[in-house]
Amino acid sequence: MSSLILRTVARLLLPILVLLSLFLLLRGHNLPGGGFVGGLVCAAAIILQMVAYDTATARRMLRGSPWLLLPLGLGLALLSGLAALLWGQPFMTSRFVSVPLPGGGALDLGLPTVFDLGVYFVVLGTVLLVVLNLGEE
Amino acid sequence: MTLHLVLPVALPLAGAILCLAFYRVARVQRAIALSSCAGLVLYLAGVLWPLLNGAGYATLRIGNWPAPYGIVLAVDLLSAIMLSLAAVVGLAVLVYALAWFRREPEEPLLYPLYLILLMGLNGAFLTGDVFNLYVFFEIMLVSSFGLMALGGERGQIEGTIKYLAISQLSSALFLLGAGLLYGLAGTLNMADLARKLAASGATPYTAIAALLFLGAFGIKAAVFPLFFWLPASYHTAKTPVTAILGGLLTKVGIYALCRLYTLLFPVHWAAQRSLFLGIAALTMVVGVLGAVAQGDIKRLLSFHIISQIGYLIMGLGLSSTLAMAATLYFMVHIVLVKTGLFLIAGIAEQVTGTTDLYAMGGLLRRRPFLACLFLITAMSLAGLPPLSGFYAKLGLVIAGLQSQEYWVVAVALGVSMLTLFSMVKIWTQAFMKKATTAAGAKEQLRPGLYVAAVGLAALALVAAVGAGPIYGVAQRASQQLFDSSAYLVAVLGR
Amino acid sequence: MASHLATDRSKTLLRVPGWRWPLAPVLALALGLFGFVLRRAPAAVAGTPWEAALDWLPALGLSLHLRLDSLSLIFALLITGIGALVVAYSMPYMQGEQGLGRYYASLTLFMLAMFGLVMAGNLLLLFVFWELTSISSYLLIGFRHEEAESQEAALQALLVTGAGGLAMLAGIVLIGQVYGSFDLGVILAEPTRLRAHPLYGWALGLILAGAFTKSAQFPFHFWLPKAMVAPTPVSAYLHSATMVKAGIYLLARLSPLLGGSIAWQATLTTAGGLTMLLGAWQALRQHDLKGILAYTTISTLGMMVALLGLGTAEASQAALVTLVAHALYKGALFLVAGAVDHETGTRDVRLLGGFWAYGPALGLVAALAALSMAGLPPTLGFVAKELGYSAALEWSEQAIASGGLALLVLAANACNVALAVVLGYRVFFGEPGGPWPRKPHGMPWLLVLPGLLLAGASWLVGILPGLLDGAVERAVGLVLPGAHAGHLALWHGWSLPLALSMVTLASGAGLYALWRRRPPAPCGEPRLSALAAYRWLVYRALPGAASGLTRTLQNGSLRFYIMVILASTVLVAGGTLVRSGLLSRGSLSSEAYAWPELLMTALLVAAALGVVLAPTRLGAILSLGAVGSMVTLLYVRFRAPDLALTQLLIEALTVILLLQVFHYLPPGFEEHVRPRRAALEIAVAASVGLLMAGLVLMANGVQFAPPIARYYLEQSAPLAHGHNVVNVILVDFRGYDTLGEITVLATAAIGVYALLRVRRRKA
Repeated sequence: MSSLILRTVARLLLPILVLLSLFLLLRGHNLPGGGFVGGLVCAAAIILQMVAYDTATARRMLRGSPWLLLPLGLGLALLSGLAALLWGQPFMTSRFVSVPLPGGGALDLGLPTVFDLGVYFVVLGTVLLVVLNLGEE
Repeated sequence: MTLHLVLPVALPLAGAILCLAFYRVARVQRAIALSSCAGLVLYLAGVLWPLLNGAGYATLRIGNWPAPYGIVLAVDLLSAIMLSLAAVVGLAVLVYALAWFRREPEEPLLYPLYLILLMGLNGAFLTGDVFNLYVFFEIMLVSSFGLMALGGERGQIEGTIKYLAISQLSSALFLLGAGLLYGLAGTLNMADLARKLAASGATPYTAIAALLFLGAFGIKAAVFPLFFWLPASYHTAKTPVTAILGGLLTKVGIYALCRLYTLLFPVHWAAQRSLFLGIAALTMVVGVLGAVAQGDIKRLLSFHIISQIGYLIMGLGLSSTLAMAATLYFMVHIVLVKTGLFLIAGIAEQVTGTTDLYAMGGLLRRRPFLACLFLITAMSLAGLPPLSGFYAKLGLVIAGLQSQEYWVVAVALGVSMLTLFSMVKIWTQAFMKKATTAAGAKEQLRPGLYVAAVGLAALALVAAVGAGPIYGVAQRASQQLFDSSAYLVAVLGR
Repeated sequence: MASHLATDRSKTLLRVPGWRWPLAPVLALALGLFGFVLRRAPAAVAGTPWEAALDWLPALGLSLHLRLDSLSLIFALLITGIGALVVAYSMPYMQGEQGLGRYYASLTLFMLAMFGLVMAGNLLLLFVFWELTSISSYLLIGFRHEEAESQEAALQALLVTGAGGLAMLAGIVLIGQVYGSFDLGVILAEPTRLRAHPLYGWALGLILAGAFTKSAQFPFHFWLPKAMVAPTPVSAYLHSATMVKAGIYLLARLSPLLGGSIAWQATLTTAGGLTMLLGAWQALRQHDLKGILAYTTISTLGMMVALLGLGTAEASQAALVTLVAHALYKGALFLVAGAVDHETGTRDVRLLGGFWAYGPALGLVAALAALSMAGLPPTLGFVAKELGYSAALEWSEQAIASGGLALLVLAANACNVALAVVLGYRVFFGEPGGPWPRKPHGMPWLLVLPGLLLAGASWLVGILPGLLDGAVERAVGLVLPGAHAGHLALWHGWSLPLALSMVTLASGAGLYALWRRRPPAPCGEPRLSALAAYRWLVYRALPGAASGLTRTLQNGSLRFYIMVILASTVLVAGGTLVRSGLLSRGSLSSEAYAWPELLMTALLVAAALGVVLAPTRLGAILSLGAVGSMVTLLYVRFRAPDLALTQLLIEALTVILLLQVFHYLPPGFEEHVRPRRAALEIAVAASVGLLMAGLVLMANGVQFAPPIARYYLEQSAPLAHGHNVVNVILVDFRGYDTLGEITVLATAAIGVYALLRVRRRKA
């Protein structure tokens, strides 16, 4: 029933949206974005497939159950907090390394980035788990 | 700073994460859940209490951010008492649930939700930040909602929706109060707020903020006239879930009231005494009359939660050190006894195959040991000496008469009589009476059910025998609450 | 085979039917305590009581303080001595019953509790034991737990004595407030302080409520006859010889503190006198042996209360001696009644008669005890009665008052005499009125011996009153400090009391003749009585009120719940807001009046109204989306791009979700609400809105301290390596909150998944 155009657009948009979500995630520390928005965009990308094709296809593209995204995201967030204990600092004390960017300047990556990645996965997992399961009803 | 103070949150969260990861391997899930809960008990007994006995306070600045800017975890004796209750009851109910849910279809979802609930409880008891408290309240709300709906019966969904809808009102009031405070004092750290609010004295702004929190936590604690969600929902859940929610969850509301009123609103506390006592009296009476009217053991016990919350509010409202100590002892007593009663009711349910008191019967003959267990915990709830409930109520009665609030003492004693009456009703219908139906559902009970129930009943007895030392701790906790200067120094560092 | 061996062995060991080895420690305990008390008796009589104390709950003033003075001594000897006899008697009597473990455990618990009660040197400790006796009494009355009659009687006793107990607790705490201590030594050292205190009246009333309910004084007496459904040894022990005397003990113990006032005297003599007469009269109308015994017990308890109320040394002495005498003869008679019941299967005096042929030994016990009950020399009953008469006669200067009192006592005593004849003579020598349900067959000797010992003691102390004299004398000094009564003696010479005794015997004999002519017939409960009031309260009023109230409040309607919660919040918080007068002072800063905000707000309000008023569900969902979009715009306007972006995505997802579930929702959307109800709901909703607006107005521009947000703006880049302050707050400054929030998200997902999975499984 869904149109060919929609399918094509969805197929084309998928990598772009996923990349966009990762971009939003990484730049979040300095510019609008972050794990929450990134996760939502990525989820939207997959939901778009669901709308364009069907739930099963969307699931196949995911290559795995959205269920496992929850422990993955929560685990990343928790571990990024616990890591500080390794060097005797309180829970969630941050630590950064500066990665030089090709175009000059540098990107500060650190435990908060890992934490944000955890947020990303949890948001993604939550939305997908709910929407996909409802879609299968 | 105490680096390990995050453990009561991190450990159950880690357990929940692992349980989610091992979703399909029930055996691993069980081991993880059990070791998380046992680990909490060991941590509290082996690390936190020895620490507090010396220092009185333990704090942790999350992320190493200085005090009012980051989130600070702060544990005083009140927090430690609550953490310990959550850990002990959490372990006991888990043991019970392990037996109850074993190989049931709900089992794989139970453990993560359960551990997240414990994480929420612990986080709320640990935090020294108003907004962070809100976050952990949300965790408790969402996980309890999930637990309540386990099973997915129609009645459960209906109860859960009522619970969820009314809890949203509580969250809204909480946020409103927190927002108001932030607007006034520009900070969310409780100790910082305490200093800044104290400097401005008693103002109508803070009075209203206090009332908003009273509303928010009043809903959580199920006080009159905000209690409706509790009798509408608790009995619908599976019995182990009812036990943990009924035993612990409403008490978090009381904890939050204790914390915020002593720390942030001491000036409004005494001024709102008649409001508190009025609420307390009505809560006690309405709760116990509700219990008297019930013919279902889980509903009956659920209404008793409300009535007992009234006693806690009464102790809070009397606003004296003795009353606060009695309230804390009451808390210890009621958490152990109320949870224990739910567990015992669950065993009776398994033996007779029903929760309807009029269809039960014959348990005194069939299960004399269960009868003995019930009698001890029920009489304890009714406040009969020499069991724990007596010392709890005695403390409140003495404190009430000291404050010359005679009428509320009279109400409390009268309600205690009705509590006895409704406990005897269970005893008569379920235990004394001849079995009305042929032998019930399950004859073979898993030992975990008894282990948990006996454990809690034994702890209630320990609370009775050790009433002296426990009251000692409660008194010290109460003094800490009344003289918050040491708390402020511990949190803010100055 | 094994059981056969076991019975054989028990026969050879002790030849006691019903013997079980767990009884050995119980018996040893009772006898041990008896010996313990006996050994310390001389010291107690000499006025140097044994004491032991242990701090238990210092925060509340509860200490484990035990004290054995001579008032305690008298009670403690009865409790432990009769306790041992009752346990021994129970072996054959209870043989073959179900639940013997429960029976003996409750009995032991009771004995210890009662023992502790009379030894307690701390009022709170006394209360602890007091309630324990109520509970063990409850368990024992309800021993035959499957019978409705037992259930009701047990509940009744528990509720009546329990309610009295709670009143007493309040009284005790009041006394503790006055003295700053619950220690009896401290309190009784300065007894006048309470009487001068404004709370004296309350304390007296509350304590009396406890004592009167426990000791079955009018109008609380009705539970005691019902309690007779308990096994007879229990009735003998708890409901005649010991527990019901706890109230008497309390009155005697606290008489220095509470006594001496008009209120004390008037209440005790009135209630006691009424109970005495009422009990005696009712006893005459009973045909059940235990009914007779119960009502005469009530009557005698009333007499003791009245005597204590008189407040003279003689009266106190008479009360104490009556107490001992009653415990001995009434205990014995109960045990006799039990044995007769055990053998014949009936306790109906209209059927019984001529039992002598089957149990002459039992007849002897009955005769000995009945003579003491009737007050014939040389029994302790006689001594007690003489003392009672002389206390009554010497009570008042006015001959009319004392004479009147003596006549009332005489009336009650005469009934006692008549009934003593019934119990001690008629059952054994009268004509049987009909066939007995069971044929007697060789009574076990343990059904006889305990009664014999009790009745014998009654004679022994009667003949040698010196055995009791020292203890009673010292105890009278404890009841009335500084008072001395004369020595106990069997023979007081020819005196007015002796004459009254003779008149008593004569009228008792006359009463018996009347009784025999018209033996009691079963009679219905009077319509208007304390019992009827109790039943109305417990079975009608209380459940009615409870279910009425609960149905009204917990009516199942979520709308109603939410409305009540909102309305009460508005009332309390709004009331404070209005009273504070801050509303008029609130103001809006000028920048908020700029037209873009005004327009957005107007659209927002319109969209919100659209949600409420939309006629279809789809309309409501779309309006909700419009609300979200307006909020997004506001975020943009106030320069919060992160929030705006998130809000927008959430809005989109929400609409998708709602549309996904759209098909599963029930068709009807608009609910029909009655106009008045709707008006009320609109009013509540509007007042909530007004409250929120009021709060914002009030708080706007009020600040006690500068906000800490400045720190975040300044430190975000240097300390936290990030320029987007919102994100840095979320993942670093307050990352702990975010950890919580993502847990909430994940948990919500699990919850939804759980629900959907159930649906799928069931489908």
